[in-house]
Amino acid sequence: MENEEGLQADGESDPKAPIPVSEVDAWENIRDDDIMQQQSAIRAEEAEKVPFIGDKEPLSVLAAEYESGSPILLKKIKVLGEKYGSIRRTRGDGNCFFRGFMFSYLEHILESQDQAEVDRVTTNVEKCRETLQALGYADFTFEDFFALFLEQLESVVQGKETSISHDELVIRSRDQSISDYIVMFFRFVTSGEIKRRSEFFEPFILGMTNATATVEQFCKSSVEPMGEESDHVHITALSDALGVPIRVVYLDRSTYDIDHVIVNHHDFIPSAGHLPSAGGGSSETTKPIVTLLYRPGHYDILYLK
Amino acid sequence: MQPPIPQASRARLFKEYKEVQREKAADPDIQLVCDDSNIFKWTALIKGPSETPFEGGVFQLAFAVPEQYPLQPPQVRFLTKIFHPNVHFKTGEICLDILKNAWSPAWTLQSVCRAIIALMAHPEPDSPLNCDSGNLLRSGDIRGYQSMARMYTRLAAMPKKG
Repeated sequence: MENEEGLQADGESDPKAPIPVSEVDAWENIRDDDIMQQQSAIRAEEAEKVPFIGDKEPLSVLAAEYESGSPILLKKIKVLGEKYGSIRRTRGDGNCFFRGFMFSYLEHILESQDQAEVDRVTTNVEKCRETLQALGYADFTFEDFFALFLEQLESVVQGKETSISHDELVIRSRDQSISDYIVMFFRFVTSGEIKRRSEFFEPFILGMTNATATVEQFCKSSVEPMGEESDHVHITALSDALGVPIRVVYLDRSTYDIDHVIVNHHDFIPSAGHLPSAGGGSSETTKPIVTLLYRPGHYDILYLK
Repeated sequence: MQPPIPQASRARLFKEYKEVQREKAADPDIQLVCDDSNIFKWTALIKGPSETPFEGGVFQLAFAVPEQYPLQPPQVRFLTKIFHPNVHFKTGEICLDILKNAWSPAWTLQSVCRAIIALMAHPEPDSPLNCDSGNLLRSGDIRGYQSMARMYTRLAAMPKKG
């Protein structure tokens, strides 16, 4: 049917001509951008419920959330409460790991005013830039994202005209134009690190994807696009590339002994050479800078008591 | 402070514009042109890849770049009629992952053109926007697909003789 119509020569068909409405046509006329618009509308609706970065809340809100839920989780939350005092939620839009990392790291710099750490991470960011260049990325595709991250890093260091307060950091982290750009910066850094050490990451990537995805394909489909969720591979790569130790605390229903539940965590300690050099720090002395709470499919920020 | 999003996208597009001018000779199959008065509107002329039914044809693409670019993908469609499983026969809309959920700012307007040329050479009949075209390929009627596609290339994508 369509083909005959097309035969009448190109350019003659009037786009405003009424299209007979049948079920088939109705489906045909749902265009992909309509679907995308609908998706973004749903996302915008969700967005109003949770900001990119929430307020700091006492850990008791977690217990309240699971009040009528699994007893294992409730016990674990109690154990969690012995060490951790508060939580800061992130929006569950697939970028929560990167967004949580962003806020937690910048907040750490703002509170510690650790200039040596700023210098160290700046050096690593430059290495990441070189990595991307060596991999063949055109500078203009990533430089804006790098510039915005470095600008935020600079601005949390106090005593300058451009310095920002903690409140301003929260505001910026909730501002889409800043927040998304920094998430994208981390995605570039993560992708560059995975590709640079592809022989190291390849077995993990083969293990987690059902298809036989190459490292290149994995980065293209699961690291670089916004909204793609993060896994061990992403966290390892980001931690290594920036040299920032990350602790992930797991809150799930797994347990060996219901009477003595333990809350597992995993420390992502950057490979040597990238580490914060606190006088030849071994992994035992390396304290995580960023601590995240993982519940299946989602990361929030955790605070020690 | 970084400029707000519309300025950021404009700045990025301007960089792409300069890159396109600089690299003009590097990719003779793609001619990417920005609208004189609106940097968010582009058109491209791409050559049909050789050893495909699109060989010899020149296809025009229209780009509408959103203000959230490069966080959001450009909208791209064929202005030239094309018989291809992943291009809507009426609207010219293209079914390509990088223009949808697999988009990332690592792509550029130029590399999107390259991806579309690759799609022309390697159709994905399992996710068809043009079912007639997809069905021909899926049923193994390569000859039928190629002759249809070639006919439309001649009708729509080649300069008229005489």
